[in-house]
Amino acid sequence: MFEVRFHGRGGQGAVMAAQALASAAFQEGNYAVAFPYFGAERRGAPVMAFTRVDKDKIFSKTLIYEPDYIVVLDDKLTGLVDVADGLKDDGMAIINSNAKPEDIELGKSVKCATVDATTVALETLGQPITNSAILGAFAKATGLVSIDSIVAGIMDIFGSRIGEKLAAKNANAAKVAYERTSVGTCKGTMTYEKGGKWLPDYKELPLGLATRPMKTPEGLVGPGSFVDNKTGSWKTFAPVHDPDKCIMCRMCWFYCPDGAIKEVGEGDAKTLEFHLEYCKGCGICANECPKDAIKMER
Amino acid sequence: MVKRVVTGNYAAAFAAMLARVDVIAAYPITPQTFIVEHLSEFVNDGLLDSAFMRCESEHSAMSACVAASATGVRTYTATASQGLALMHEVLFIAGSAHLPVVMPVVNRTVAGPIGIWAEHNDTMPQRDTGWMQVYVEDNQEVMDMTIQAFKIAEDKRVLLPIMVCLDAFILSHTVEPVDFPDQDKVDKFLPPYRPDHAVLDPKDPMIIGSFSPPEYIQEVRYQTDETMRNALEVVEEVNAEWAKEFGRDYGGLIEEYKTEGADAILITLGTVTSTARDIVDEYRAAGKKVGLVKLRFFRPYPTEAIRKVASKCKAIGVYDRAVSFSAGGPSWIEARNALYGYTIPVINVLAGLGGRDVTEPDIRLMFDKVLEAAEKGEAENEIVWIGTRGVKP
Amino acid sequence: MDRHQGGETIGITIKTLPEEELFTSGHTACGGCGAPIVVRAAMKILGPNTVTYFPACCLLVFGGTYPHNAFKVPYLHVLFENSAICAAGIKQALNKQGKEDVNVVAFAGDGGTGDIGFQALSGAAERNEDILYICYDNEAYMNTGIQRSGSTPFGAWTTTTPAGTKIGGKELFKKDIPKIMMAHNVPYVATASVGHPADMLRKIEKAKNMKGFRYLQIFAPCPTGWRMDTAKTVEVAKKAVNSGMWTLFEMVDGVITLSVKPKMEPVDDYLKMQGRFRHLTDEQIKIIQGWAYKKNEMDLKFVEAFSEDKKE
Repeated sequence: MFEVRFHGRGGQGAVMAAQALASAAFQEGNYAVAFPYFGAERRGAPVMAFTRVDKDKIFSKTLIYEPDYIVVLDDKLTGLVDVADGLKDDGMAIINSNAKPEDIELGKSVKCATVDATTVALETLGQPITNSAILGAFAKATGLVSIDSIVAGIMDIFGSRIGEKLAAKNANAAKVAYERTSVGTCKGTMTYEKGGKWLPDYKELPLGLATRPMKTPEGLVGPGSFVDNKTGSWKTFAPVHDPDKCIMCRMCWFYCPDGAIKEVGEGDAKTLEFHLEYCKGCGICANECPKDAIKMER
Repeated sequence: MVKRVVTGNYAAAFAAMLARVDVIAAYPITPQTFIVEHLSEFVNDGLLDSAFMRCESEHSAMSACVAASATGVRTYTATASQGLALMHEVLFIAGSAHLPVVMPVVNRTVAGPIGIWAEHNDTMPQRDTGWMQVYVEDNQEVMDMTIQAFKIAEDKRVLLPIMVCLDAFILSHTVEPVDFPDQDKVDKFLPPYRPDHAVLDPKDPMIIGSFSPPEYIQEVRYQTDETMRNALEVVEEVNAEWAKEFGRDYGGLIEEYKTEGADAILITLGTVTSTARDIVDEYRAAGKKVGLVKLRFFRPYPTEAIRKVASKCKAIGVYDRAVSFSAGGPSWIEARNALYGYTIPVINVLAGLGGRDVTEPDIRLMFDKVLEAAEKGEAENEIVWIGTRGVKP
Repeated sequence: MDRHQGGETIGITIKTLPEEELFTSGHTACGGCGAPIVVRAAMKILGPNTVTYFPACCLLVFGGTYPHNAFKVPYLHVLFENSAICAAGIKQALNKQGKEDVNVVAFAGDGGTGDIGFQALSGAAERNEDILYICYDNEAYMNTGIQRSGSTPFGAWTTTTPAGTKIGGKELFKKDIPKIMMAHNVPYVATASVGHPADMLRKIEKAKNMKGFRYLQIFAPCPTGWRMDTAKTVEVAKKAVNSGMWTLFEMVDGVITLSVKPKMEPVDDYLKMQGRFRHLTDEQIKIIQGWAYKKNEMDLKFVEAFSEDKKE
C-alpha cells in the first residue's frame, strides 16, 4: 500500500491528477482509490486530493494523514500550508518548482523531487495547469508507476472530461516533465505553526453559530474577519502599477473584486496602493485601466 | 378570567394575541385556516399589534418566522399536514439556530391519499428537526400550552422552537368552554422576548447561518441536543408556575391518570387521551387494574418519566395515530427505546389513521390487549392494528 | 397608484464612493469573479446601517465560511429558495423594533432568484415588502458547478447542457426575469451591469432610497463558468450590453426608460470571448443574433409603451 496526498488550488486539477494516478496504478493491476477533500473551495483556494494504491481491495474510507508521498502542484503553497504534515520520514515530496530539491523548504528534510511543471504546462498546453505534468514527475521520482501507465491514466481520466485531443496534450506534458525531474533532498529548517484553527468546545462556540466579531488566539472570527485571510498567494500574475501614467480615475479601485487596491494620501499626493496580499491576479485592473498604467507580470 | 365556548383554532389564535407576538407569518390550510382568519380579524380590528405577513406558501411563512426571530422578535405561525411538510426544510434552521418560534400544528393526514382528518403523520416525521412537540387534549390545553410554549421556547437554557399539536377537527373545529387568561397575568407570566444570542442589528453585527465546515457542525448538533435535554426540566418548571398562577396543572412532560396500582397502562397522546379517561374509569369501576399515561411532550422525550411508569406496572400499551412502515408507531418505538432492559411487555396499538374515529370499543380493545399482555407476561402480537378491515387485531 | 416614496439620489459615482469596505478583502471568490464587484459597490452605497441576506449560492461560500466572514454588517442565511421572504421577515421584525431606517438587502444568484427562488420572490413583490433584492446574474448555477439555469442563454455550454455530438449547449433561451418582475408593478425594477458602473451605481443608490419592493438584476460574468480570461469580466459585460445580449433599463412606478441604447454590435465578438460558446455552429450563432435583434425590437416597443408620455 502507498498513500499520496496532492496539494493544489481550486481549478488546478488536483482531483483529476489524483484520479489519473489511481487509474495508472489500476492499469498496472493494482486496486486504487482517489478522492477529494470534500470542500466547496473556489478557484484558487488551497485544496487537497488523495490517492491510495494497494495490491488488494482497499477498505479504508478515511482521509490520508500520514502519506508516503505528497505532490504539490503549486510551490507557493509550501509557504502557506504545512504540506509535509504527517509525511512519513522515509516518504517523498514531489513539487512543482523551478528550484532545485535542495532549495525547497518543507519544515522536514525528506527525499524530494522538483520539476518546473508550470513552464512545462505553458509549453505543452499553453496554460499554467500543472496537474498532468506533475504526474510525469511522480513516475520518474518514485518509480512506482511507469510513465506509460501515467499516460494511460491521463488518457482515461482527462480524456473522459476534456476530450481525447486535450488529453493527449496533457499526456505529453507528463512525458516532458518526466524527463525534466530532478531528485534530491529538501530542507527542513523552518517550523510550521501547528493548529491555526479556532476550535472552541461546544460551550464556547456561540449558540447555533450566531457570531459577533471576536478576537481569538487563532485570529479574528465573525463579521469582517475575512481580512485575516490573505488570498494573495493564489495568483500567477501580479499587477505592476505605474503611478506616472495613472490619472487616479479609480476604475481599478472600483473594479478590483478583492478590494486589493486602496487609495491613499490627499490632494495631489493621492496615489494607489496595491495590496498584493489579497490580489488574486485576475488582471481586471490592467484590462480596464484607460491609461495602460497597470501591467500583469509573472 | 372570562370563560367562553370556542374552537381549538380560536384558542390557538387568541393565545398568540395574549402572548403579544411581534411577527406572524402564515398561510391558510384546512383545518388550520381559522387560526389565520381569527388572527386577521384581531389585527384588522386593532386588537393585536403584530406585523402580519400573509405569505404565499408555508415554506415562506416559516422562512419569515425564522428571519424575524433571528432579528430578535417573538414570532408565531400555524399550519397542518402538507403545510408542515412544505416547511420541513426550514424547520431545521429554526432548531439549529436556536430560534424560539411557536407554531400550533393542527394534526392532519399527509397525502397520499389526500385527506383532511386527524392523523399524526404530519408532526411525527418532524421529530429530528430540533423542534419541541407537545400534544394536547382539549381546547383549554391548546390555549394554555400555546402561551406556555413561548415561555419554554424562550428560556435561556432552551431557546428552541416548539409545535403545539392539536388534532384536526376533534379540537380545531370543536367548541367547548375555555377559560381565557387575563392579559395582565399573561404579561407577568411571559415577559417580552429580548434575546442576546441571535439578533440581526447593524449596531451590533452578527453572522447567522454561515456555511460551516465539519469542524463546527458536530458541536452545533450537541448544543441542540443539550438544550433539548435542558427543556425536560424547563417544561416541568413552567408547568408548575402555570399551575400556581392560573390554577391548571398539566403534569409537565406526562400526565398520569389512575396509574397507581395499575397492571396495564396505556400511553396515549392527543385527543384519544380524553376518551381513554372514560374507559379507565369504567374499567376501574369493574375492578380491572388499568391506568393511563398522557404523553404530552414527544420532544424532548421524557425517558425517565416513562421508565418510572414502567417500574410500577406489568404491561404497557402505546397508542399511535401514525406509523413508521414495517417498524410500528413512532411513539411506541420511542417508548421501547426508553424501556430497553425492562422485561414487561410493551405493545403498540394503532388506530385512527387517516382520521378514522377512535371509538370507545376501540379503546376498550386497546386496554384488553394490554391487560392480556400483563396477565400472560408476553404479547401475542407486538403491533396491533385496531379497526383495520382484514387485519386481526 | 404610485406606491413608492423617495428615490432621491445625491449621485454617487466611482469618484465619490466611500473608501471604507463593508465587504472586506480576503473573501474566497474565484479570481475575476463579477459578483464581488457588485456586492462591494452595493455595500459602499448601502452603508453600515444594513442587514444582508444570502441564499445558498457562491456568495454564501466565498463571502463567509464559518467562522470567517467578509461582511461587516449583520448577515443571515437560511436556505436557497427563500431570499425574498427572509429579507422581508427581517424588515418586518426591524420595523417592529422601531428600527425602520435599517436597509435590508438580499443578494442572490440567477437560479436562486428566477428558478427555485421565484415563488418567494413573486410573493414578496406582490406584497410590496420593503426590501432591496439584488440578483447577480451569472447565467448558471455556478456554486454547484456550472449547471444551466433559466437564465442561461441559448447555446451556452454548462455541465448540464454539454457541447455534445448531438446537442450543442442549451437549446432554450434566457428567461426574462426583470420583465416578470415589472409585471408585479413594484416601485422599482432595473437591470444593470458591471460593465456600466456609473449606471449601476446610480440604480443601486436610487433603489436604496426608495421604499417598497425594489428589484435589481445585475449582469455579473463568471470567468470560471464562462470559460474565459479572468481579466475580461468587465469587458465581456460591456460587450453584452453593446451587442444587445443584455439590456439596461429601469421601471419607476410603471414608467420604463432605456438606460443605454444598445449599439447592436454583432454578437460574434461577445460570444468569441467565452469558452462556453466555443462549440457554437454558424447556425447557432445566427439564432443568437436573431434573438438579440428580436429582443432589442421588443424592448424598444416595451419602453415606448410604458414611457412617461404614455402615462395618463
